[in-house]
Amino acid sequence: MLKIFVLIKQVPSLHSLEIDKTTGTLIRDGIENIINPDDLYALELGLNLKDQYGAEVTAMTMGPPQAEFALRECLAMGIDHGILITDPMFAYSDTLQTTLVLKEAFDNIEEYDIIITGSQTSDSSTGQVPYQLSEALDIPLITDIFTLEINDRMIYSHRNFGHESQHIETALPILLRVTRHFNEPRHTSLLGIKNAFKKDIQIIDFNTLNCPEHLDGCNKSPTLVVKTEKIVLKRKNEVIDGTIREKIQKLINFMQEHGIERIWTGEQKNE
Amino acid sequence: MNFDLTDQQKLVRRSVRKFAEEVLAPVAPIFDREAKYSHEIVEELSKINAWGIQLPEKYGGANLDSISYAITIEEISRICASTALMLTVHNSVGAYPLYKWGTEEQKEKYLYDIATGKKISGFSWTEPNAGSDAQGIECIMVQDGSDFVLNGSKIFVTNGAIGSALLIGTRYKTKDGQKGIATVILDKDMEGYEIGQPEDKLGMRGNITTSLYFHNIRVPGENILGKLDDGFRIAMQTLDAGRIGIAAQALGIAQAAYEHSVEYSRGRIQFKRPISQFQGISFKLAEMATKIDAARLLVYRASYLKDHGARYSKESAMCKYYASEVAKEVTQEALQIHGGYGYMKDLPLERYYRDVAVTSIYEGTSEIMKLIIAQHILRGNL
Repeated sequence: MLKIFVLIKQVPSLHSLEIDKTTGTLIRDGIENIINPDDLYALELGLNLKDQYGAEVTAMTMGPPQAEFALRECLAMGIDHGILITDPMFAYSDTLQTTLVLKEAFDNIEEYDIIITGSQTSDSSTGQVPYQLSEALDIPLITDIFTLEINDRMIYSHRNFGHESQHIETALPILLRVTRHFNEPRHTSLLGIKNAFKKDIQIIDFNTLNCPEHLDGCNKSPTLVVKTEKIVLKRKNEVIDGTIREKIQKLINFMQEHGIERIWTGEQKNE
Repeated sequence: MNFDLTDQQKLVRRSVRKFAEEVLAPVAPIFDREAKYSHEIVEELSKINAWGIQLPEKYGGANLDSISYAITIEEISRICASTALMLTVHNSVGAYPLYKWGTEEQKEKYLYDIATGKKISGFSWTEPNAGSDAQGIECIMVQDGSDFVLNGSKIFVTNGAIGSALLIGTRYKTKDGQKGIATVILDKDMEGYEIGQPEDKLGMRGNITTSLYFHNIRVPGENILGKLDDGFRIAMQTLDAGRIGIAAQALGIAQAAYEHSVEYSRGRIQFKRPISQFQGISFKLAEMATKIDAARLLVYRASYLKDHGARYSKESAMCKYYASEVAKEVTQEALQIHGGYGYMKDLPLERYYRDVAVTSIYEGTSEIMKLIIAQHILRGNL
């Protein structure tokens, strides 16, 4: 039976983002919190692997106490167990601190076959943890896969690599970073919700993990959020008029001026 | 008194809203425009257990509490009232009485298919000459051996075209001349069961309403729900449950209209400012918000009483009457706030306005609701 862990993060819903002026971080109180959208693809992969091969799937997250609700949402989708790593000591951890805490957790868990993450979080957008965790746990990370098969503790996969694809075979345990839209996350069923509250969520804190002292968040994180601000992108608008011939010529001139060789109009063609 | 939703109820709202926005939103305008529904939607709904929201898990249901049920119906209605109607009639007045009054054999025979949406249910009582005057039904079944032979017709049957395990109310006459009103289970494959043409309606056009005609249908004894003369009592008690669903449905429509109004009034600039800055508009929003909130609390209260086994006829009548009347007011004001744009079919406001009109009519008109409430008051149940 495969042991699969899906790493998720609870993030504020994009509709309600506000920034705390003193700490420069997002205000998380009183805001609707959701599972990070990219993590849904990771959860769906975990559930697919469970359907296909038989597995015990655990959703794991490091966050404040309210992140427990996000784990409940995962359980409602069909995930078997939840683990919440939470402690005031972990507050303000950057991605490296987060990774080191996760490493402690996985060292404690000992047995894991596949760890899956989403692409990036909607509130920090770094996408760094899978890479750091792969190094910390010394297990291979495969990103951008489009096919995978598991057989006898080996994974056989194809991944995108620029305009090419790579065929990668490696032994478990393995870390997978799932691309956005890799699959179609299932809808949560009402029975799933009913059952979610019968399943267990394990809560792990600093002491349970036997964390070394240096893992105490804000003071020790190598990176610190100095400021968060909303960036408003304003496109430069230019209206080209004239006859059709004139418009085409102006467009060609513009492209030559700006060194543009090709314009993709939608479907990608392999040329 | 705890006014908070439980974590489970919050999860229900979030999940059903997501489902409705992703699966139903693209098709709701099509269902309305073309007056049809789709079988794919029936299947999508069965994946989330929407056909057996409160049925036990043994049959494939989700076994949720009544507030979670009301939330589910409201969230679906917020996007597609026609689909919500199909679901609430199936769950509240089809599945519920079958579960409450059915024998073990009847439950075995019907509830598995009903919980999964393989068989769609409902409860048809209305006839051409019997609407509010429920006792005026003329359908009659006459005993013949251990069966009864049923003749008559029903009108305005919700789920009429697609229902395959419908309950209907009918007069009966036994061999020894006993008379009364029974509730029986009909299967659309029965010989003599005729489905009429779909009605062309003002709203809820995605829900196919038809007449039904019964030509000498043989109703076996095992298709009678409860005792033979329980029919009327079963109908009245079933409607208590049904009204919570209808109220939730009205609530969903009102909520959608209200949300659109808030967003529109923020964006619409007239006289150099968003119209939300004018009290003429913001006061309307405040009134909408208050009325919807009050209606919602009445729905939750009736649901709470039902789940606790308390009598809730008065409270259920109150929530249905209030939510439907509020929904009519809110959709009208929403249309007004949107001005000319609201009148155009490009926006859903006109659909909300049309859909909501029937909520104060079916499963008991607002007038009948007031009658029920008054009866309770005058009996001393203030």
